[in-house]
Amino acid sequence: MGDQRIDRLAELAVSFGANVQPGQTLVVNAELGREDVARAVAAAAYRAGARHVEVSYLDALVRRTLIEHGIDDALGYAPPWQVDRVKQMGEQRVAVITLDGALDPAATDGLDAARLGADQSPVRHEYLELVTGQLINWCIIACPTIDWARKVHPDLSPEAALELLWTQVEWMCRLDEADPVSVWNQRMDTLNAVAGRINQRRFSAIGFRGPGTDLTVGLLPTSNWMAAAFTTATGLRHHPNLPSEEIFTSPDPNRTEGIVRSTKPLDIDGTMVNGLRVRFEGGRAVEIDADSGVDLLRARIAHDEGGARLGEVALVDGEGRVGATNTVFCTTLIDENAASHIALGNAYPFTIGDDEDRARTNASSIHIDFMIGSDEVDVDGIGADGERVPLLRAGAWQI
Amino acid sequence: MADLRADMTGRLADLMVGFGANVQPGQIVIVNASLECRELVRAVADRCYRAGALHVEAEYSDPYLKRARIEFGGDDAVGYAPSWAVDRAREIGEHHCASITLVGGADPSVLEGLDQQRLGRDNPPTRKEWLRSVMQQLVNWSIGPGPTPTWAALTHPDLGPQAALDALWTEIGHVCRLDEPDPVAAWTERMAALSATAGRLTERRFELLHFEGPGTDLRVGLLPRAMFVAGGVVTKAGIPHRPNLPSEEVFTTPDPTCTEGHVRSTKPLDVGGTVVRGLEVRFEGGRAVAIDADSGVEVLRGRAASDEGACRLGEVALVDGDSRIGRLSTVFYETLLDENAASHIALGNGLDFAAGEDAERANRSDIHIDFMIGSNEVDVTGLTADGTRVPVLRGGEWQV
Repeated sequence: MGDQRIDRLAELAVSFGANVQPGQTLVVNAELGREDVARAVAAAAYRAGARHVEVSYLDALVRRTLIEHGIDDALGYAPPWQVDRVKQMGEQRVAVITLDGALDPAATDGLDAARLGADQSPVRHEYLELVTGQLINWCIIACPTIDWARKVHPDLSPEAALELLWTQVEWMCRLDEADPVSVWNQRMDTLNAVAGRINQRRFSAIGFRGPGTDLTVGLLPTSNWMAAAFTTATGLRHHPNLPSEEIFTSPDPNRTEGIVRSTKPLDIDGTMVNGLRVRFEGGRAVEIDADSGVDLLRARIAHDEGGARLGEVALVDGEGRVGATNTVFCTTLIDENAASHIALGNAYPFTIGDDEDRARTNASSIHIDFMIGSDEVDVDGIGADGERVPLLRAGAWQI
Repeated sequence: MADLRADMTGRLADLMVGFGANVQPGQIVIVNASLECRELVRAVADRCYRAGALHVEAEYSDPYLKRARIEFGGDDAVGYAPSWAVDRAREIGEHHCASITLVGGADPSVLEGLDQQRLGRDNPPTRKEWLRSVMQQLVNWSIGPGPTPTWAALTHPDLGPQAALDALWTEIGHVCRLDEPDPVAAWTERMAALSATAGRLTERRFELLHFEGPGTDLRVGLLPRAMFVAGGVVTKAGIPHRPNLPSEEVFTTPDPTCTEGHVRSTKPLDVGGTVVRGLEVRFEGGRAVAIDADSGVEVLRGRAASDEGACRLGEVALVDGDSRIGRLSTVFYETLLDENAASHIALGNGLDFAAGEDAERANRSDIHIDFMIGSNEVDVTGLTADGTRVPVLRGGEWQV
C-alpha cells in the first residue's frame, strides 16, 4: 500500500495504456498475487471518471483442480454468462486492463498436457473478437509478483529477485523517466516511421536467416506494418502492450515456407516450451518439435484449422529496452519485444488495407507468439521479383 | 499447527460441498470468498470437481475495490453494476447452479473514514437477482465460514497472528462439528432435533412472539399459515441443501405489518464491513420508525431506506442455549455465526417457503439484514389467538 511504483504503474496503464475515458466501465484481469496493483488501477480509473471498475481475480490453482479432477465435459467449458459478458463488454465499449507476468509454476507442474491443451475456454475466442473488431481500448501491462520474480531470477533471494524484477519492469516501461508518457510517444513515433518506410516498399515476403532458421513469410498485398499504438473503431487511442518495442502485421496464411528455430523460451499458461523447431509448408506448420513442452503446444495448435498457420509477423530492433536486459522474463508480453517473432493463430485484420485481403487473413481461436529473432538472425524484405532488401542486421534497422 | 489448518480446511471443504450445498454431478458451482480465503476455495473447487461438477466459478471479493469506488467514484458509480453482472445473477438461477459462499469478519479499517451515505447506497442490483433465485428455490446453496488472518485478528485481538488463526480454526472446527468423527451424522442429528422443535412451534399457531429483556419489549406478529423451519431446505428440483453452516436457528417469516415495540441488539452487527454496535430500533405498525446505534448507524439507515420493505421484518428466528456458538461466548463479527448464537430478527426480504400459503403477504425488499436480539436474559413468549401466554425460551432453554 502506498507504494509509489505501484501507483505509477497503475497510472501508466490507466492513462497511456488503456486510456480509460470518463463514464467508461473498466474490466481488470489479474491473477491472484497482483491485488495491490489491481487496487491502484481501480483507484486511478475512478479518479479518471470511470463509471465502474470490475476486477476479475483469476486463480490458477482453482484451474489446476479442474485439470486434475474435472470430468471431460468440464475441460474447455465456460458458463454461457461468461461468453455473454465479453459480448456485452464489446457492445458497451469498455476498457480492459490485464496485469501480466509469468504464472506460478505450481499452477501447472505435472499436469496432463493433453488435458491442459484441451482446456480452451470459449471466452478467449470472444476476447479475440473484441480486439480484432477494435471494440475496446485495452492494455496488457507487466506486473511483478514474487512467484514471477523467482522464476526469472532463481539465483537471488526472493526479496532481491522481486526488487530486481520491479527495477527492470520500471525501466522497460519507462517509469524511470520523469515523463514516461512523452518518452513512450517518442519511441512510438520512431517505430511508426520505420513501419511507414517498410509499408512503402510493399514487400511480397519477409525472409529470416540464422542458425537453424531459413524461413520465408509471405505477406498480403495490403499487409500494413504498425507499432502497438492502436485506435478503436470509435477513435480512442490506446497502447495494448506495455512494454512494447515491435512493429507487426498479419501475413498471408498460405505462403510461409521453410524452417525456424525459436530464439527464446516460450511460456504457454505456465508451461515452458524450450528449443522449439517448426517446419512450414504452404503456410501450415507441418512439423513441430521442441526440447520441452511440445505436447501442450501441439494440443493448442490442433484446436482448430487456423491454429497451425501464421496470424502475425513482427520485427524488433536492438534499441528496445527489453532485449537490452538480457533476461528471459518467461512471459510473451515482454519476451516477444526482445526479438522478432511470429504467431500461430488469429490475425489482426485491422493491419490489412483492403477487404479482400482482410478476408484472407488467418482465423483461429488461438494466438501464440514465439520468438525467432536475434542479433544472429538477418531479416530481409523480399520483393515480388525476389530481390532481398536488408531490414535488420545484428539488431539494427537497415531501412 | 499448520497441519491443524490443512486438516480442518479439507474437512470444511468436504462438509460444504457434500452436505452444505450438496453439489450434484454436472452442476455449475459458484464459489464466493474473500481473497484471503484462497486455500479453502481451492479445496472446495477440488471437492466440487471430484463430485463431478461441470464448472467451478470462483469469485473473489475485494473490499479495497469498494473503498476505491466510494472514495473516488462519481455519484453514478455508487450502487452500479454492469448489465452482464445482473444477467449472470439471474442466469445462475435459471441454470440451477450450486453456490457456496465463504464468509468471515472483515477488516473494518478498510472502509474507515468513508462517506457513510455513499456506503449505504452502494447496494448493487445483482443482489436482487440473487435473492430472487434463492427465494424461488432454484439454487442449492450454502454459506459457511472461511477463516482468515483478518477475521482471526478481529475475534482474538489479544493473540498473535498465528495463535489467533489457530484459535479461530479450532472454534470454527467445533461449531461446524468438524471435531466429530462424522460431522455429517452430527449435523443430521442436531438438525432433526431443531426440526422437531420447529414442528411443535408451528402447531401452536402463535399470533405473535413477545421478546422481553433489558432494553427490549417487542411483539412480532406472525402470519397465520407460516411455518417454523430449521436446518435444511430442498430446491424445486428436489436437491436437499443446508443454506447456513453452522445453523442452530428455528425461524419463520413474520407479518410485515404488525411488529410493535422497541428492541436492543445483543451482539454487534456487521453490515458490508461496517460494524454496528448498540443498535436500538423502535417499530410501529411493522415499520422501523427509529433506528439508533452507538456506531455505524448511518450505513444501516441507508440500507433500511433502500426500498419500501427494507424497514420491515422478513424473518424472526429463535436460538436456544444448546447452540455450540452461543456456548463459546466469542463474538465473531460475522452474522452467519453470531446470528446462531442468539435469537434474531431481519429487516428486509421474507422467505417464501417459511411463509407457506401466506407467501404473498411476506415482506419484499432487496435487502436482508439480520440482527441479534436474544440472550439468556431475554424471555421469548408465544401468544395464542385467545391471549394465552406460552413460554418459548427461558434462560436460553426451550419450553416447548
